[in-house]
Amino acid sequence: MSVFITSSGHFLPGPPISNDQMEPLLGLVHGKPSRLKRRILQSNGIKTRHYAMDANHHTTISNAGMAAKAAEHCLSSSFLGKRQIKMLSAATSQGDVVLPGFGSMLQAELGLSDIELHSSHGICSSSMMALKAAYTNLLAGEQTNALVVASELTSRLFKASRYEAAGSELDFNAEFLRWMLSDGAGAVLLETQARGRCFRVDWIRSFSHADAYPVCMSVGYRGDSSEQRSWQDYPTYAEAEAAGALLIRQDVRLLENIVKLGVDGYLRLISEGRVQPDKVDHVLCHYSSHYFRGKIFDMMQRAGVGIADHKWYSNLYDRGNTGCASIFIMLDEFRRTRQYKTGDTILCMVPESGRFNNAYMQLTVVEA
Amino acid sequence: MTEQVLSPQGQQCLQALMRVWFEFERQLGRVPLLQRLDRGQFSKADYCQLLLNWRQQVIEGSRWISRCASSFDRDYSDVRSVIIGHAREEHRDYEMLEQDYVAAGGKLADIQHAARNIGTEALHGFLMYRASQSNPIDLVGAMWIIEGLGQKMASDWAAQIDKSTGGDSSYTRFMRYHGANDDDHLQKLYQLLDRLCQSPAQLAAIVRTARVTARLYCLQLEEVDHEY
Repeated sequence: MSVFITSSGHFLPGPPISNDQMEPLLGLVHGKPSRLKRRILQSNGIKTRHYAMDANHHTTISNAGMAAKAAEHCLSSSFLGKRQIKMLSAATSQGDVVLPGFGSMLQAELGLSDIELHSSHGICSSSMMALKAAYTNLLAGEQTNALVVASELTSRLFKASRYEAAGSELDFNAEFLRWMLSDGAGAVLLETQARGRCFRVDWIRSFSHADAYPVCMSVGYRGDSSEQRSWQDYPTYAEAEAAGALLIRQDVRLLENIVKLGVDGYLRLISEGRVQPDKVDHVLCHYSSHYFRGKIFDMMQRAGVGIADHKWYSNLYDRGNTGCASIFIMLDEFRRTRQYKTGDTILCMVPESGRFNNAYMQLTVVEA
Repeated sequence: MTEQVLSPQGQQCLQALMRVWFEFERQLGRVPLLQRLDRGQFSKADYCQLLLNWRQQVIEGSRWISRCASSFDRDYSDVRSVIIGHAREEHRDYEMLEQDYVAAGGKLADIQHAARNIGTEALHGFLMYRASQSNPIDLVGAMWIIEGLGQKMASDWAAQIDKSTGGDSSYTRFMRYHGANDDDHLQKLYQLLDRLCQSPAQLAAIVRTARVTARLYCLQLEEVDHEY
């Protein structure tokens, strides 16, 4: 049995926001312009992104709403109607509500009936985990199709008022992601039958290293040596926010590990015979920043398993880093706009810095 | 780094060694002492204890490298030259380490008279044993781990130690210097890989020795916390 990606879709809220428009929209923290913004933007290379929030900090569309739009976009170019969908597998780092699961909220938003449901929770790699859950479900013969949707609405965390509520000065780790992440959703449709020109999923694999590395990206605790309490351990949520326990943080010092671990997984897959570097025709790698693209590329090159520059595709620079949605938004744009031919091999990589989970997938272009 | 290992066999060996290195870094990430360093809960006393233990391996380090050089026969005289050069450059490194120990508040006599910890015994024993074999090409795997560690110390640990102990880099000179120097050593290592890894059997031997060295190095660092 094989599983195929027979359709894809995406949704990006509002107009593209340029680098200069970011701070007026997100707001000045304590009325002062950021001193780090320019450096971080220069390093990540992102030129435009989208926010599901206006300059008054009103949310323009919910996370589940964006996910539903991406799913509908995906279905609109598929052979299936909503009534025929058998499974929904959804991913996000933070739903609109803490409970119930994001998948339930999305199912209701989409109006899908009697489906099998899966919600995957994590950061960038959670979409790949959602995809793998659906993929194995189909391979096991449980269902004949699955809609997989990943969506992020992180801009809610970047409003100036969030930082102001957490007190005085912003540290680098708490501000870093403000200039990295943005909103959007992506979707793919998996089926056990090929339709027209589509992508066969050859395999999906991930390697997680949370036991060997500290937390690198977090929301929910301050995570420094003096304060390890969860936001839920404070007497009130207001106190948790005031203590900075609800800020989204990246431990920038640990971030470099993502390059090594990304290459490590790639080398493992080569030694297992799953990846043959010279047979890869397209690389879709979710790197969070242009800076890391160079590092990953160089290290692969140094190991003698590099993949030529022109085979790499990313829309990070125009669509922004949308966390777990990125890889689907990238795959969708690749599918719609790029040149590829039957037999081509596509390697997708999602190295996640949360606590270092690296996911990989290989697709082959087939013609039904 | 732009240099490449050219032969297909050398290339494969490099890939395998990179994986051994990544695995080693994960092993290091599980060592309690280094986890404390990561969290910033690392005192000057911890640092002194680390140096005290480390010095015993560093001072022996030049011995196995020298012996390794002398174990290469006439067919490998070029390799011997490279390794002799390497041994000469590093054989007094321990003195800088001792100075750091004193600068951090330790007593010279303490570090000079401390015994090898259990991990150091095992690591030193293993390396001397391998170095005594004829044409010990597999030791390039040990060099890979030890040179890599030098870079990690300089790029990572030295700054973290200064940060969590309130230092001004005056007592992390060994770590910083060692890393700066190792960049050049790594280039030589690539050339050695190309020269010494010419068959699957040699590849397997190099990778195995790298793995044993990595494991024993971790043991040595785990043992820093043990006092008897």
